[in-house]
Amino acid sequence: MQFINLFENDFYALFPELFLTCAALLLLVFGVIWSTSKASGYPILVHTVAWLSVWSIVCALGLTLHMPFSIMVCFYNTFVIDELTFLLKVMVLCSTGAALLMSMDYLKTSSLNVFEYSILVLLSCISMLLLVSSYDFISMYLAIEMQSLCFYVLAASKRNSEFSTEAGLKYFLLGAFSSGILLFGCSLVYGSTGITNFEDLAKCFAGISQTDPSLVHVGMCLLSIGFLFKLTAAPFHFWAPDVYEGAPTSVTAFFAMTPKIALLGVFIRLLLCSFYDFLFAWQYVLFFCSVSSLLIGSFGALAQKKIKRLLVYSSIGHVGYLLMGLCCGTVEGLHAVLLYLVLYVFMTVNIFAIILSSIDHAKTSRVKYIQDLGFLGQTHPVLAVTLSATLFSMAGIPPLAGFCSKFYLFFAAMSSSLYSLAILGVLTSVVSCFYYIRLIKIMYFEQPSHVNTFSAMDQEKATLIGLTSVFIVFFFLCPQSLFLWTYKVAYAFLG
Amino acid sequence: MFQLLNFLLICPLIGALVIAFTPSWNVRFIKTYALFISITNFIASLSVWLLFDTSTAKFQFVDRIAWLPFLNMNVYIGIDGISLFFIILTTFLVPVCLLVGWTNITKHVKEYCIAFLILETCMLAVFCMLDLLLFYVFFESVLLPMFLIIGVWGSRERKIRAAYQFFLYTLVGSVLMLLALLLIYFQVGTTDLQVLFVSEFSERRQLLLWLAFFASFAVKVPMVPMHIWLPEAHVEAPTAGSVILAGILLKLGTYGFLRFSIPLFPEASLYFTPLIYTMSIIGIIYASLTTLRQIDLKKIIAYSSVAHMGFVTIGLFSLNVQGIEGALLLMLSHGFVASALFLCIGTLYDRTHTRLIQYYGGLVHVMPLFSFFFFVFTMGNLSLPGTSSFIGEFLILVGTFQTNTWIATLAATGMILGGAYSIWLYNRVVFGSLKPLYIAMCSDVNRREFWLFLPFVIAIVWMGVYPDVFLDPMHVSVANVIQHKAFM
Repeated sequence: MQFINLFENDFYALFPELFLTCAALLLLVFGVIWSTSKASGYPILVHTVAWLSVWSIVCALGLTLHMPFSIMVCFYNTFVIDELTFLLKVMVLCSTGAALLMSMDYLKTSSLNVFEYSILVLLSCISMLLLVSSYDFISMYLAIEMQSLCFYVLAASKRNSEFSTEAGLKYFLLGAFSSGILLFGCSLVYGSTGITNFEDLAKCFAGISQTDPSLVHVGMCLLSIGFLFKLTAAPFHFWAPDVYEGAPTSVTAFFAMTPKIALLGVFIRLLLCSFYDFLFAWQYVLFFCSVSSLLIGSFGALAQKKIKRLLVYSSIGHVGYLLMGLCCGTVEGLHAVLLYLVLYVFMTVNIFAIILSSIDHAKTSRVKYIQDLGFLGQTHPVLAVTLSATLFSMAGIPPLAGFCSKFYLFFAAMSSSLYSLAILGVLTSVVSCFYYIRLIKIMYFEQPSHVNTFSAMDQEKATLIGLTSVFIVFFFLCPQSLFLWTYKVAYAFLG
Repeated sequence: MFQLLNFLLICPLIGALVIAFTPSWNVRFIKTYALFISITNFIASLSVWLLFDTSTAKFQFVDRIAWLPFLNMNVYIGIDGISLFFIILTTFLVPVCLLVGWTNITKHVKEYCIAFLILETCMLAVFCMLDLLLFYVFFESVLLPMFLIIGVWGSRERKIRAAYQFFLYTLVGSVLMLLALLLIYFQVGTTDLQVLFVSEFSERRQLLLWLAFFASFAVKVPMVPMHIWLPEAHVEAPTAGSVILAGILLKLGTYGFLRFSIPLFPEASLYFTPLIYTMSIIGIIYASLTTLRQIDLKKIIAYSSVAHMGFVTIGLFSLNVQGIEGALLLMLSHGFVASALFLCIGTLYDRTHTRLIQYYGGLVHVMPLFSFFFFVFTMGNLSLPGTSSFIGEFLILVGTFQTNTWIATLAATGMILGGAYSIWLYNRVVFGSLKPLYIAMCSDVNRREFWLFLPFVIAIVWMGVYPDVFLDPMHVSVANVIQHKAFM
């Protein structure tokens, strides 16, 4: 009882995570017992478990929104709760929920009859929630590892597909490699300071002379590289196209948004809180990675023929933009990053929900090559309009949502005197227009060799697409609330 | 209070929304409704003209709606003598566009109407937005419907390439402007135009900002090295698309010069005047000579537009009242004349489905009414005294002569060349021997086309004979731009 009293508030603070853990374990037990019961004929529980997972995520979202504390450090300074974690947790939960919802139909039609799928998604969601609020190297590393383990399995979850197993294996090898680098960085920092806590690191480094390179610099570099690896920033992106393409599409959708939120969240905390006094050291690393991601993201996508690979390269480009904002190291920069992240998640949900829809009535094949979208403008005008709005928004054409985040990002870069980065950013956005418009061209203007009749969309995906498209198209009309919220978060974190 | 400008901006959007929810088989209702909405807007814009106070340079009909107040960015609309007539030109041309496609647009009629109504809102917003960032937003948004109009309703296979070129050329130019305006926002802390008008930028920064704005506007105008997209886009666009392109989109660039580049960066404008002059002169002469060797009717008008826009830029950068007013009048006049010429070509294309000049000849025998209209518009194109273009070009030459005699002289040769290609075009198409193969196809203009052409004739002659009606509201605003920045 003593123990409980000691940590009473701490348990409140991590209540959503605890709730989700219990829910995931209960669902696992439910699945294991029920699906092996001979009496009910070995039922396929994919759909049931997926819906239950969605509902537990909704409950966790409710718990997060009604968190009694707004700022708190708990569990012996290993976890933190503040405005930033609140925003990121809401985003992680929403995007996980969206990923589950859009995979319902996919799981059913591609006979991926493993109920563990949703449980793995839930578990990785928990680890990402923990990752977002981790305040210590140890809790951070453990959360990252737990998340990665779930992801390795998820990537390989389509067991009868060579691509999927290959993706899982590749992800595992390179994930382990990057975790190793990350851990090495942590140990170097720990070795030279004896500190693992983020806040203590910040205090330790305050006012330190930044000119002479030390072991801390090396450790920080390795830490950043580990994170950049996991964020698929160029030049550490080589694993991403293969893994994203090989993994089942619903998993790719999940990979493309949720881990980015969580990893970027803790990366922000690490750089802007712990290593803020080394700004001029890590700025170079991020600058370089941002430039290369922008270039590789935009030029790499030009030659792609498969839609998933194209989206991977486009997401590499988006990571470049996010790093550009992070590179600024100012309130505006952080604000721009958060705004960009929110809008990026919306656009990704929209585009993957469309990609996940089946292109024939038998519901066996899906959009794979970009040519498969041919004639969509004639067969499914509404879907085509939606997709082109999202693509234009991703390209940053006003007045769609993507523009609002991009202009603010460029503004942040300009105000931190990163002129070259801003100019490169706008120029690559023009290049990226090239391949986004190519998709639109295929949908509307080209005569395809064969016409795909998309089958009717299921309700979950239709709802997701509808909500996100309305958001993307009409965000411009009243951007005030989201701007203010993210600004508040950024200001509370840095101001 | 009931705001007239807000009504102008919102009315087409509401129309587009209603049409979006109308089933697409109900073509008749969709067309009629879109036409009704756009004509309502035209009438509303005329009442803006009536209520316009010509004695002040202040922005009128202003309204401010909070958009991102904590970043000091608001939807701030208003018009002055410079933008008034562009509003009217826009609202005038949109119903024309809808009427042009009345019978020959058969696929995606619903989307066609929606695209034009949304385009109307975007264009009107560009002309009355007094916030730099939102100006940019709408300046760019025009691309989206236009891209679709060229790509979907364009005429040939090459249209995709044309749509691409149009989109990317203009985008490359405008992203640089985005950076420039973010730099301005960073320095001043607001994008409100009225605050920016009284802010000062250091000379070095002015040069950079001016060049960035120039990159965007020069592509839109288009000035000569950046004009490649225009003939392509014109040739491939449907008639209505060409009308909007020539009538409004080309004016966005010159309007931008006058509204932003000149008042915001006066020193840079003076510094770069020789550049503008040189490019414009090259543009006028090169485009006029190129026009002579074109065989596609639409390309002829497209290149002649490039030449006329060269006149406009010369007039703007003469930086005196006559020159700028002449430029404004020529923009307006070109909006009528070039649009009308594209309508004529559209009329021919509807009948024969070719635009190659060699298939035409002797049309005066079979299409007398058409030949008359075409004649008036051709005379407008070559700036015959009595037509609107003459007043514009005359004022531009008067203005330029005060600052640079050589440029005025060289520009004047453009008028001769303009006469050459216009008359030669008219000669080849309307006179000469009748091509017997096409006699059956060439019926004279029908009632719809007649009533489409008539307002253009009236406008062109009216502006040519009594231009004061149009110049009067401009005087104070233009004088304000010049005096405020001490160009005198």
